[in-house]
Amino acid sequence: MSHEVLSHTPVAVEPLLELDAHPECGGLALFVGTVRDHHEGRQVRHLKYTAHEPLAAKVIRDVEHATRERYGVPYVRIVHRLGDLSIGDVAIACVVRAPHRAEAFDACRYAVDAVKHGAPIWKEEFYADGSSAFVEGCCIRDDLDAPAATSHRHHSHTSHG
Amino acid sequence: MKPIVFELFANLERLAGAAECRVDAGEETVTVADALAVLARQRPELAGSLERCACVSGDTIVRRADPLPADRRIALLPPVAGG
Repeated sequence: MSHEVLSHTPVAVEPLLELDAHPECGGLALFVGTVRDHHEGRQVRHLKYTAHEPLAAKVIRDVEHATRERYGVPYVRIVHRLGDLSIGDVAIACVVRAPHRAEAFDACRYAVDAVKHGAPIWKEEFYADGSSAFVEGCCIRDDLDAPAATSHRHHSHTSHG
Repeated sequence: MKPIVFELFANLERLAGAAECRVDAGEETVTVADALAVLARQRPELAGSLERCACVSGDTIVRRADPLPADRRIALLPPVAGG
């Protein structure tokens, strides 16, 4: 369990696939999130990901474990990139190996959503006009009371990777 | 009075202009919520952002009602947006 889940250098997808292992698996689902050149009508030039690394690594490992358990799949591997990224760079990669395609697709979607909503990682976008902003995100407090929790934890997510 | 150190991330770090923020707090500051109240008083520019922050000690989320961590360090994590 010492594999890297946060990377300060470009993410190589191929080694994550483990194609020479898992002979019981006939399905491989791969999601790769890449840096998009626009956000809510603004032209994005580049962006920067930062994280609270100890908790982010723990959350991502927990998601890998929970996804394996929940979908009964043997292999889930997630890497999130940190640092300065250009348009088209890999931001996140998630690989699921499973006996069949249905659980591979489902598990892959679940894992990516769980990381986006739960790992303390922040995206700062730098725009064509020279300004920058942190993208609105998900509150990860687990002790908000009912009214605040409803409006804060489940606010709509317009951004997608 | 003993210092409490808050580690700041993302827009909170930008608001404060620093990655850490140190406040002095007395014996009456016993919970995470107490510490946040001291921070809000001493750094009003951060006060409006604290409600939606998770508080973390080491690699563990702590709740507002929990005791102040022994090392008197709290990381303040604003809403997240990875992926």
